[in-house]
Amino acid sequence: MIDIGLLINIIIDVLAFLAIYLILAVSLNLQYGYTGIPNFGLALSAAGGAYVTGALTGRIAMTIYGVGEGLDFMSDNTKITELINARLSHDPLMGILIFILIIAIAAVINAGLGYIASRPAIKLRADYLMMTLIAMAEAARVIGLNYYPLVGGTFWVHVPDLFAWMGDMRNVGVCLVIFAISLIVFLAVQVMVTSPYGRLLRAVRDNEVTAECVGKDVVKIRTKVIIIGSVIASLAGVLYSFHLQTVLAAAFKRTDWTFWPWLMVMVGGPSNNIGGAVGTLVVILTRRMIIYYKHYFEAYVPFEVIWLEQIMLGLALILIMVFRPQGLIPEKPTRVRGLPTKPSQKPREKSKEA
Amino acid sequence: MIPPVITDAVMYANLLILLSTGFTLTYLTAKIPNFAHATFAGIGMYVTFTVFKIWKLDPYIAAPIAFIIGAGFGAFIYVVVIGTLKKYGATLISITISTLAIEIIVLAIINIYADYIQASLAIVSRWFMFRYADFEFMGEPGVLTVSTTLAGLLIIGFHLMLTKTRFGIQMRATVEDSALASVLGVNVELVSTVSWLLTGGLAGLAGSLLPLWLQGSPLVGERILISVFASSILGGISSIYGAMLGGYLIGLTEVLGTVALMDVLGSWVSAYRLLIPLTVMAMVLLRAPRGVVGIIEGIQARGLSVRRILRLKR
Repeated sequence: MIDIGLLINIIIDVLAFLAIYLILAVSLNLQYGYTGIPNFGLALSAAGGAYVTGALTGRIAMTIYGVGEGLDFMSDNTKITELINARLSHDPLMGILIFILIIAIAAVINAGLGYIASRPAIKLRADYLMMTLIAMAEAARVIGLNYYPLVGGTFWVHVPDLFAWMGDMRNVGVCLVIFAISLIVFLAVQVMVTSPYGRLLRAVRDNEVTAECVGKDVVKIRTKVIIIGSVIASLAGVLYSFHLQTVLAAAFKRTDWTFWPWLMVMVGGPSNNIGGAVGTLVVILTRRMIIYYKHYFEAYVPFEVIWLEQIMLGLALILIMVFRPQGLIPEKPTRVRGLPTKPSQKPREKSKEA
Repeated sequence: MIPPVITDAVMYANLLILLSTGFTLTYLTAKIPNFAHATFAGIGMYVTFTVFKIWKLDPYIAAPIAFIIGAGFGAFIYVVVIGTLKKYGATLISITISTLAIEIIVLAIINIYADYIQASLAIVSRWFMFRYADFEFMGEPGVLTVSTTLAGLLIIGFHLMLTKTRFGIQMRATVEDSALASVLGVNVELVSTVSWLLTGGLAGLAGSLLPLWLQGSPLVGERILISVFASSILGGISSIYGAMLGGYLIGLTEVLGTVALMDVLGSWVSAYRLLIPLTVMAMVLLRAPRGVVGIIEGIQARGLSVRRILRLKR
């Protein structure tokens, strides 16, 4: 019969991925859906977050606990991580403190990265920005793959288990933490886009000339949104690394960290956070299903099933663009606090008659 | 004997010209950056692989085949995907995203093919290089001559097409203002399809020559794409001649710059070669977003034409 432990692990895995990708989808939705910035460099921020986690968590814990005297952080990585984990399993406070510290450092560094990466093309047309950001994300991957002290180059680096004190419940606990953070991000962005600031973002998206005419600095707003979006996306990288307890630079491919979030947002409907969440659910479930059932396929096809998955999801994106560009849940006029719930249609009709 | 560094640089620049001209051409006619562009080169690479490794023929036989397959594929993408999306009123950004989807699909198909060859014929089908199969011409690898000739032919051919033929003029009209061109009886759809056809063909050709000098693998295209962006942007993104110039400049700077930096800083620099076109791209966008063409036009606007400078000297 079905093994309960295995089932729980599968559910935890799916939920963790769901929460991590929800963060990316929300970040992209804020940038593309609400502000109209086509950020093709999400992989940059995700990799940035993961690199910070991989490079700093172990080193910080090593310094705090004073373990691993005479050992090299990179070459004796497994040993050092074991030593740190042994200490962390009795020290919940330090674990939580380091976790918060890492998130803060990742946020600061990725805010800077987002600013630098978008700077060359932020004042130009959208296609320049797309090209620049996609190139920047590729550069981040190349640096991660080649600069050994960062996250081990083509090898990987272990991330100390900051939640080791949870003992047997560690996997469930980490999943809950990830989910909680994801929910906070979701709600925070939701509050942001329903506020007057959200209206401003949509004004920038729909007509930047008008926004400039009423005295809004469009470039400044875009820069701000890219910075916020990068910080949010870097959270996904951080949480992903803590979930897997390793950082592998080769994992931060354009397909996984830029294309999947785009697909999620387009499936669910851009400029609609609920839609983004639905899109994330659909895509993650489809992908996970393929991964879990892939050994059934594998017997029949002479290649890796992952390619089939890419073809299917790539086609799905094109079909959605053709037949349902507004996504599963289209954008509705957002309710703005302080204004009547339903925007009245009367003035418009009147003007038509006149 | 030409030093190998120069051969490297010229080879790479020639390939970039073939790619960046096509990239700019699609940008001009469809108004979108085609992120799937470099995967056409991936198709070309595997055509060469098939011709040389499986059919055991001369690798140069692959070049025309790669051109035809690439051209067919380019036209197919335009008519089936881009054309349909346009018909359904998709925005330029969503069409661009769809090219990312196409890139992923094509990359997956190439990988499936590579996996299949590896499984069924037990030949290593990734990271291949056929330098040893190349002929020698005047003591230099043949691919150097071939690619330089092709790049030269491309420049001359494009110039003649755009200035002397009816079709070239129609193409320029479409680029300037497609609505107005169609009013004047230009078949805009045909012009666009042909430009995608040429683009795909040129990229396939570049890809088919690549394994004769560099390592070929499905992921190579993804890497080269950044250099293609840089070339096109350096050339001003909206000028075919600019793209050609940009291709040469980026190709030479990338290879020679890496070698120069390796002399100064050590051999570890070579791994970060990608950062050179990226830096050039960022600098161009920050300082002169319209690239070389913009700079030249700026000089002309100040009344300083080459002719006038020469006259002043006289």
